[in-house]
Amino acid sequence: MDTHPNDYIKPELMACCGAREIKDFDVVIVGTGFPTMSANIAKHTHAKNASMMQESGVYDARPARPALSVGDPCLNPGAAMIGGLVEVMGLFLQRGWVDVGFLSGSQVDRYGNINTTVIGDYARPASRLPGSGGANPIGALAKKVLIIALHDRRSLAERVDFITTPGYIDGPGTREGWGLPPGTGPEVIITNKAVLRFDSQTKLAYLATYHPGTSVDEVRRLTPWDLEVADDVHETEPPTAEELRVIREVLDPYRMIRIYEKRGYV
Amino acid sequence: MTMQEAIACHVHDGDFLFIGGYICRPPFGAIHEIIRQNKKDLTITRSNAADDFDLLIGAGCVKRFISTFISLGLYGLARCYRRSVEKGIPHRIEVEEYTNLSLPMMLMAGAMGMPFVPVKDMVGTDLLKVKSFMGENKYKMIDSPFDGKPTLLVPALVPDVGIIHVQQADDRGNAQIWGIGGDCKWGANAAQKVIVSCERIVSRETIGKDPSRTIVPDFKVAAVVEEPFGAHPGYAPGFYDVDFSFGYLYQQASNTVEGFQAFLDEWVFGIRDRTEYIQHYIQRFGYAQFKQLQAKFDYSFPVSYAY
Repeated sequence: MDTHPNDYIKPELMACCGAREIKDFDVVIVGTGFPTMSANIAKHTHAKNASMMQESGVYDARPARPALSVGDPCLNPGAAMIGGLVEVMGLFLQRGWVDVGFLSGSQVDRYGNINTTVIGDYARPASRLPGSGGANPIGALAKKVLIIALHDRRSLAERVDFITTPGYIDGPGTREGWGLPPGTGPEVIITNKAVLRFDSQTKLAYLATYHPGTSVDEVRRLTPWDLEVADDVHETEPPTAEELRVIREVLDPYRMIRIYEKRGYV
Repeated sequence: MTMQEAIACHVHDGDFLFIGGYICRPPFGAIHEIIRQNKKDLTITRSNAADDFDLLIGAGCVKRFISTFISLGLYGLARCYRRSVEKGIPHRIEVEEYTNLSLPMMLMAGAMGMPFVPVKDMVGTDLLKVKSFMGENKYKMIDSPFDGKPTLLVPALVPDVGIIHVQQADDRGNAQIWGIGGDCKWGANAAQKVIVSCERIVSRETIGKDPSRTIVPDFKVAAVVEEPFGAHPGYAPGFYDVDFSFGYLYQQASNTVEGFQAFLDEWVFGIRDRTEYIQHYIQRFGYAQFKQLQAKFDYSFPVSYAY
């Protein structure tokens, strides 16, 4: 059997990119969609001892159907612990127990700052978005943060319209200056075209790998700032046969992940 | 007490309300009654608001919203909230923005009688740059008196009334929940008084068989209302599932001002109480759909408190 079947869809590849960032025994705080899918792929492949929590108050849920929100009824029966926001965001996240946070944003910039508050001027918004929810504290306090974004010149920005969630804010030293925990911050931006990582000196996102079917030139063209390219830039490893089996047979037999194609993740 | 009496007696124009829920156990029966009684100029709060807060905003009951987030979940952005903030329809509400860490901590501080609480989030972001009706009291940045490090302080919140929906309570208000908590426990305990809506009223003896589940004691409770199906279209663990098709119906209705008004006329103004609401639901969608929402039973092992 081919070790990397080529019949995958882009959201499956992105979910696998997320999964590969999760290590065994990691404690992961997840939202619905990509984060849950990625964490579950990791749990069923290389990170069997990783554990998950939802900000609504749930630790180690065992849902019998895919959860459609972080408050979904299916997260209740079978969980190891249920409290509320003070437990998950306070006892676990603020206390420093969460290894990986997983976020998406309407707008993400080159320092990994995320906007989920407003497009345009705050006082007279062109589009009013939901707000922070749990994103700001997760971006501030999880040891590493994975970001999912669409790769186009609207969703990526040199500077977001509103910093809802801190990435590296204004660059090196800014997080530390505000007293955020040392060593925290965004690790990757996973888009439908590429995986961007952050330079340890400048804290700027650079191109690490480009997905099959695109190129360094195309990715740079779709990025609204002058994107640096890694010396060892290469093609993203496609999903393995085992990863695809887990997604299609175990986690998502009804292929709900296809809704992300409709949302532009192609 | 009926919900009509509870809201008439205990919720007044201009009040500051904590309204619990997190898709899990939103007190929709109380929210509909607040709209029916045309309460005005309310300040409302809770972490992660949804269709219930959108409904109050669209109905014109809200002046101020202490917010972390509001959306229709699976069904996207909150339509009435957007119309209010972007276009001033029916009027522009004032929004003070926090997060799902800071707001629950502010409610916890209120519940514990603390004046403020330090939190580790929000710093370095534009959430510190925007201040609304709380002005300079939205937060204070200080150097910690202990180690000199920059520290963010946020104020305690003490709502006039906390409104929660729970699985069961006794007739004096000892209120018990199980399942996802959100900020329900802290928000209710922060309030000056609590309105408890519940799926069922049980005896004091039943409460006493498993008292660790109680989140609010009776001495804080001003009113207890038995409202089966009171969290619909949200859910109550062990009672009924979330109603996704109703969520879609609300999204479609709230897409336009006219559609939203028709929704209010049908589901709020055209209905007297929760019993009529259930009857209308069954008439409209059939008993099979109503029955399909009802939870299966999968009991936990009984616990013993005996010595």
